[in-house]
Amino acid sequence: MKKAFHLSPGRDGASEDVRREIELHLEMRAREFEAQGMTPEEARQAALAAFGDRSAIEAEVRSLRGTTLRSRGRREWMQELLQDLRVALRGLRRAPGFTATAVLTLALGIGANSALFSVLRSVLLRPLPYPNSNELIQVWSDHRARGRAEPEWLTPPDFIDWRDGNRTFSGMAAYQGWGPDLTGSGEPEALGGVSVSGNYFNVLGTAPALGRLLSMADDDAGAEPVIVLSDAVWRRRFGADPGILGKQLNLNGEPWTVVGVLPAAFNPPLGVRPELYRALRRPATSGCGRGCYVLRVIGRMKPGVTIEQARIDLGGIAARLAREFPGTNEKVGVWLVPLHTQITGPTRDPLLALGAAVGFVLLIACANLANLLLVRGAGRARELGVRAALGAGRGRLVRQLMTESSTLAAIGGGLGLLLGIAGSNLLSTLVPGNVRNIQGIHVDGTVIGFTVALTLLSGALFGLLPALQVVRPELMGALKSGGRDMGGAGGRLRSGLVVAELAFAVVLLVGAGLLLRSFLLMQRVDLGYRTSGVTFVGIGLPRARYPDGARALLTVEELLGRLRGNPAIRSVEITDLPPLSAGDQDVTAIPVGEPRRTDQPEAIWYRAVTPGYFAQMQMRLVSGRNFTPEDRLGSVEVGIINEEAARRFWPGKDPVGRILAQGEDSTAPRITIVGVVASARHDGPNQPYKVELFAPFAQTPSRGPTFVLEPARDVESALAAFRQALKEVDPLVPVAGSDRIEQLVGSALSLPRLYALLIGIFATAALLLAVLGVYGVMAYAVAQRQREIGVRLALGAAPSGIRRLVLGQGGKLALIGTGLGLLAALAVGKLLGSLLFGVSAIDPPTFVAVPIILGGMTILASWLPARRAMRVDPLVAMRDE
Amino acid sequence: MAGSDLYTGSLDLLILKATSWGPLHGYGIGRWIRQSTREALSVQEGALYPALHRLERQGYLEEEWGLTDTNREAKFYKLTRTGRKQLSTELVRWRRYARLMTAALTAARPS
Repeated sequence: MKKAFHLSPGRDGASEDVRREIELHLEMRAREFEAQGMTPEEARQAALAAFGDRSAIEAEVRSLRGTTLRSRGRREWMQELLQDLRVALRGLRRAPGFTATAVLTLALGIGANSALFSVLRSVLLRPLPYPNSNELIQVWSDHRARGRAEPEWLTPPDFIDWRDGNRTFSGMAAYQGWGPDLTGSGEPEALGGVSVSGNYFNVLGTAPALGRLLSMADDDAGAEPVIVLSDAVWRRRFGADPGILGKQLNLNGEPWTVVGVLPAAFNPPLGVRPELYRALRRPATSGCGRGCYVLRVIGRMKPGVTIEQARIDLGGIAARLAREFPGTNEKVGVWLVPLHTQITGPTRDPLLALGAAVGFVLLIACANLANLLLVRGAGRARELGVRAALGAGRGRLVRQLMTESSTLAAIGGGLGLLLGIAGSNLLSTLVPGNVRNIQGIHVDGTVIGFTVALTLLSGALFGLLPALQVVRPELMGALKSGGRDMGGAGGRLRSGLVVAELAFAVVLLVGAGLLLRSFLLMQRVDLGYRTSGVTFVGIGLPRARYPDGARALLTVEELLGRLRGNPAIRSVEITDLPPLSAGDQDVTAIPVGEPRRTDQPEAIWYRAVTPGYFAQMQMRLVSGRNFTPEDRLGSVEVGIINEEAARRFWPGKDPVGRILAQGEDSTAPRITIVGVVASARHDGPNQPYKVELFAPFAQTPSRGPTFVLEPARDVESALAAFRQALKEVDPLVPVAGSDRIEQLVGSALSLPRLYALLIGIFATAALLLAVLGVYGVMAYAVAQRQREIGVRLALGAAPSGIRRLVLGQGGKLALIGTGLGLLAALAVGKLLGSLLFGVSAIDPPTFVAVPIILGGMTILASWLPARRAMRVDPLVAMRDE
Repeated sequence: MAGSDLYTGSLDLLILKATSWGPLHGYGIGRWIRQSTREALSVQEGALYPALHRLERQGYLEEEWGLTDTNREAKFYKLTRTGRKQLSTELVRWRRYARLMTAALTAARPS
């Protein structure tokens, strides 16, 4: 049986089909009778007689057929879909190059979007993992009116007043860092701890996995010292022993009773993952007054309260405190930040920028595919014309073409989803670890839904235009013209798509250029200290056996002495805060005898170092003297400030010999400035200089010094020597961990490098796609105009003129696309915002380089088709018709 | 079945059998029934068509348009998967029915 191209009948076709079916029967039956010797007339009569009551039967069949068609409507539709699908798959199999290109482009485009969305959704769109987390607020004090831009922590008395006086919060909890050393059982170990007010876990809405959590009663001065373990430390150090409850741990030489274990899923909204939690205990009586900003605070607003209402409420209390304690609280306001913003805020700009970038890449990919399909559609104009002539409706043809693009999209999207799941893990490094801990990054139903929607959208985006274009009525004349001519409108559409591609590519290239320049500038920033060849090792001396600085200094200096004689170590110095590390410490700073100015800093960032530190770290002493071994406990307190501090505290004067007081009252410690060092960027290359004060370690010793080792040979033997010496001096002191300066510098630059790299990859993909688009359009245009070119050449046109014609067309596309893209790119700087460093949003080198690169690539892409046009053989071109 | 002296359901069974070797148009099905029953069963040929359309509606047959040997466009009937299943169950039933009827009709007189 040969297949005929038959489109399903509509309702009206039903009776016609039945009539034809019966007529065919009668004719064939009559022919049978004729073969037996009847005349045609007799045969027809015999056939009719054998058939029976024709009109009655026809009527019966017609009604049967009607109901069949109606009930079959949906199945029919499915069958058509399957038929279209088969046709589409057959067509795609026949063009493997096209199919592979399209599917790969889509898979990459959709995969990148899916992966990035999984990160974006996990971090920015999902609420924090605490019950009713939208009620949680990070509470800061606001010192902007006092010339300090950053939010500030709270003082213990202010915290008590804010906590007890407000009407908008159901709870307000405070916390601060705590570094307990665990001794007594097994290796001594420095643990990460945090002191929290008794209601901390209540405010967060956390329940214990084992035992109980802390309560307000634990905050009482006389309460038994109790401790809550994180799940991690419970498993790691105590083998998940359920009998841990009631046991005592020796922390910093004191006994603490374990009362509970937190659930594994609990992650506190902190920058770190503490292993132990203890009660803060009566913060108001800790001897720290209203000038002492030591507490971080989170609050939970009552249900239905807005952050505005909370701000007004707490603001009233702050205003009252400012009147009561003008010395400390004047111009101290309230700064509330939703906890979600507080935690995920820094990831917002990079994620949105990268999201926009992958979105653009997908748009460019779709435009490219639309172009490919247009060209393909033009090649099939004849085939489609035939089908239209055979009675296929325009809607039916559009549907069939759309099935093809949807099939492509579905295959691409499926692959894309797999890529997205794989890429999600990869991209999760975009998010700082502490945010990742709280907002775990994974592919969930929403991400899958997003990918499916994106796939459908892409399919519609790159499929609909070409489908509509191909079945335009005038194209049905394609039968006549041999299916070669697409008409001007199709060309315009293709050109428009290419212009859009080029414009998007320009936007991405500008973004990539800006980020790359930022990264290069950041990398070239002189940090102000050596960036290789030293390793930092921290130790923690337990408070119980080292009750004061003098005792700590004794051990530290003994250790220093041993290390200085060690052949594995070239030099060793001490700081209490290595550069580029989390944490900072500041003290109140008032220049004595200076008139009070509004732009003068209130506090100074502070580090204690040994005299050799500056030389070892290659920091330049600008004026005055270095510390000496005589600057010790008991001698006059001295300090060295950086140039930034000199400029801000004593503008235009020599600070050497002047005095910084650490408070307003006369009893506050006073520091004599003996020297000035060059400013250094201790917080990272993209951070501004801060006002800094260095103090002699021997004068302000601490229990947590960090040794700066410059190895004589390799880092490992230096560290081994350090551990050996420490064991000899005090075997119970744990090492807190070591960092090489190269690692610290590397991780400070790792995120900017990653952003620049990713946007660079996306921009390169965009550029290649756009250039491919230009090539496709130009090559197609030349192929279309082959005859015209042939005629021109035959009439004596110079081949170089033909080349100019083609190149000029490509150049025009490039010019329009680049122009539009550059206009759009002006807004890119705004989107990149905080990601830029040292470049303006309209960075001239970037805005010059991008058009040159794009223009060059476009000319290259037009060159090949132009050359082909030049070599058109007029005879061949015209005979072709 | 109107205008038919075939036993109930047997026309349907014959149609399913006729299409079991491949798609066939209505005339071809009718001719096969006539020939394979040695033209002994006098059927009004037109009665075939309501039966065909009924079987189609029940999903045992599906239509397929094709060309006849003489290059005429014609509606072909194709046995569906469920039709094939129906054919085999009906065959089993028919054989059992025929055996029982034969047994009954050739039985001895009751004593």
